[in-house]
Amino acid sequence: MRPSRRRAAIAVAAVAVLAASGCAESERDSSGGGGAVKDTLVFGVAGDPKVLDPSLASDGESLRVARQIFETLVRPEEGGTKASPGLAESWTPDAAGTTWTFKLRSGVKFHDGTDFNAEAVCANFDRWYNSTGLMQSPDVTPYWQDVMGGFAKNESAELPPSLFKSCTAKDATTVDLAFTRVSSKVPSALMLPSFAIHSPAALKQYEASNITGTADDIKYPSYAMEHPTGTGPFKFKSWDKPNKSLTIERNDAYWGDKAKLKTVVFRTISDENARKQALRSGDIQGYDLVGPADVEPLKSEGFNVLTRPAFNILYMAINQKGNPALAKPEVRQAINYAINRQALVDSKLPPGAKAATQFMPDTVEGWNADVKKYDYNVEEAKKLLAAAGASNLKLKFHYPTEVTRPYMPSPKDIYELLAADLKAVGIEVEGIPLKWSPDYLNATTSGSNHDLHLLGWTGDYGDAYNFIGTMFDRQKDEWGFNNPTLFAQFKDADTTADQAARVEKYKALNAAIAEFAPGVPISHSPPAIVFGKGLTGITPSPLTDERFVGATFS
Amino acid sequence: MSTKTDKIDALGELSAVKQDEHGVSLWTEAFRRVRRNPSALVGMAILVLFVLVAIIGPLLAPYSPTDTMGIREGVIRPGSIPGPSAEHWLGYDHQGRDQFSRLLVGARQTLLVGIVSTLIGLTVGALIGGVAGAAAGLGGRVGRAVDSVLMRIVDMLLALPSLLLAVSIAALLGASLTTVMIAVGVVSVPVFARLLRGAMVAQSGGDYVLAATSLGVKRSRIALTHILPNSLAPVIVQATLTLATAIIEAAALSFLGLGNPDTSTPEWGLMLADAQPYLDGRPGLAIFPAVGIIITALGFTLLGEALREALDPKLRK
Repeated sequence: MRPSRRRAAIAVAAVAVLAASGCAESERDSSGGGGAVKDTLVFGVAGDPKVLDPSLASDGESLRVARQIFETLVRPEEGGTKASPGLAESWTPDAAGTTWTFKLRSGVKFHDGTDFNAEAVCANFDRWYNSTGLMQSPDVTPYWQDVMGGFAKNESAELPPSLFKSCTAKDATTVDLAFTRVSSKVPSALMLPSFAIHSPAALKQYEASNITGTADDIKYPSYAMEHPTGTGPFKFKSWDKPNKSLTIERNDAYWGDKAKLKTVVFRTISDENARKQALRSGDIQGYDLVGPADVEPLKSEGFNVLTRPAFNILYMAINQKGNPALAKPEVRQAINYAINRQALVDSKLPPGAKAATQFMPDTVEGWNADVKKYDYNVEEAKKLLAAAGASNLKLKFHYPTEVTRPYMPSPKDIYELLAADLKAVGIEVEGIPLKWSPDYLNATTSGSNHDLHLLGWTGDYGDAYNFIGTMFDRQKDEWGFNNPTLFAQFKDADTTADQAARVEKYKALNAAIAEFAPGVPISHSPPAIVFGKGLTGITPSPLTDERFVGATFS
Repeated sequence: MSTKTDKIDALGELSAVKQDEHGVSLWTEAFRRVRRNPSALVGMAILVLFVLVAIIGPLLAPYSPTDTMGIREGVIRPGSIPGPSAEHWLGYDHQGRDQFSRLLVGARQTLLVGIVSTLIGLTVGALIGGVAGAAAGLGGRVGRAVDSVLMRIVDMLLALPSLLLAVSIAALLGASLTTVMIAVGVVSVPVFARLLRGAMVAQSGGDYVLAATSLGVKRSRIALTHILPNSLAPVIVQATLTLATAIIEAAALSFLGLGNPDTSTPEWGLMLADAQPYLDGRPGLAIFPAVGIIITALGFTLLGEALREALDPKLRK
């Protein structure tokens, strides 16, 4: 009897403490932190970086670090999505639109002291293009495969032919990149951190392409874990994995405006509330993925909450290979009418979020004001369902647990509201909660045993294809439909060299997608990032490309 | 053996001496003692109230517990959830639902999980403990072997931290209400098994057993009709106390996201978990379900303790 009594007592006490902790007001002084000289920024991140070679990374935390150490030929304008000069000062296509000449910046040196020049650029492109073995695994080089398709010698039949053809160093500061066809991805996609230029000497010295292990258990070479060498305003110092802390320090030989901070430490604090408390206590001076409910309180406490422009889409996907009724357009349109987007946006998303009418935000060219709109209409939804003979629909609805995405702050809450909306039009919903990675992503993007699920997309660069093309330009398990007309329309748009003509084709695509209703576009939500009092000089980026080079304590 | 098992065995000895010479039955006497014990009365009052709410709560609830009216009315904003008002006594929850209605309706779910999981633990535990106790009582090589094997299995279960065991089971079976009941039930199985077996072993040395044996009654019959009924008292006390821990453990599993996947159905543990991000602005969202859990667990614990004292011969005046 005793043990259970004690157990009960402990549990009761735990519940009480939990409840009481809510009342405790944080009165600590939040100005603390570093010592006398404020030249160190400790930034709280939600997860450890996976790998420090951005060619091999696709997760936000790896790329966040890479963006401080490395630079790309083309970079997004600060705080925007348009291409602006990076390591290349200018670029021009030839008449056919397949060969692009890049004029490089001169006088740039890598962190190891070697020169940045046309040969270095070609060494990088050749490294990616000539990948073999595990370097061709979609888990190892995800962005190269997203943008360029395949490699010089594809080892898997599933890989498409490469978009990239060759790189030629014309002189020290001129480089020609040749592609196999015209594509909307050039040159915008080259601003992805995965196309950052590395020091060829360091790549060679630390065997950067020597990936070992197996596809399920990838072992990265020492270059990717201990010796990332770029041209950026910060250079890698150390990565203390057991203590979950990664340090970068100022590159005093940087070609541009040098960083004001001497050191930036990325400290992993996975719990959102713990990050908030660490900021308040001064342990960290900034963190990302601020919960929508914390934005106003943190602002009123004097913290510097930066809201990024909404450059994402949250959608409810409908799998047409799931419940057979979902293959009927009326049913999918009915589901679109059933969802009260505005109420959800007002109550669950951060200030500044917008209800979506299409699968891309209105800041991207190609957004169409005249697409078919599905304003919240319960009667219309019921009518369409009855007309399609699907009044007694029962659908599985997958939603992720324990995760926050920039476009989706609280998946469970959003799921509950959507499920309530669906119930209101007579659709029975069976909720299936799964852990984000890998369970949820596997269950919803492969196979066909799913009906509805929540997912979203944050744009990589400012082109419509990066949004709608990624989702709908081919048959995917996530959506389960085969619409050759739509796929052909995408191919046509992608290979249109003329920007204005391409934008018109994107608009037509958005109209076609809205009519086809493959899913429910829900919202565009501006994710927030917060910095401590007195820390200024960081511009929020829609691409989450925040550069710490200008950060300073005032 | 560990102190944990020793204590369970000690409880078993409660039933060792208990037939009253005055002819007043154990249970009559126990009831009289419970009535004189103020903390038992408090416990019972709490429980009556709780059971009442669990039964008629949905009728009392002013609104549907799943109606997200606050969202519809547009009064819920990130970081701002309206608090108590005349229409909504405890305010809205984060999904714009009436918190008071959810609290009332949630009581039923909470009680249901507590009772069913305790019953699972009691039934399975008593079965194992009963067989082991009977086998031990029967004696012989086979009897001792059966007893020994069963008890070692129980010891293994007992050695695992209970919440860890429950979480593992819940994770294996997938999140559902049934899973929570099974997981919490399994955790209490070894306690019941050990308790009943200990009580039965203690009873088997009693004079009435010796008398029955000398009359030539079959040992299996003695075990079933004499020893077993006389060993049930500590098990019943334990069941009352287990209800308290079961409610807390079920709430903990819900809190960890291993409960009912239909998260719009109110349940106190779930409400607590949901309230976590809003502790800063609306601590009430966490406090009310937490207080509900605490008071209910307290009720069962008070009653269980009172029963234990009442049934403990060493404490008799």
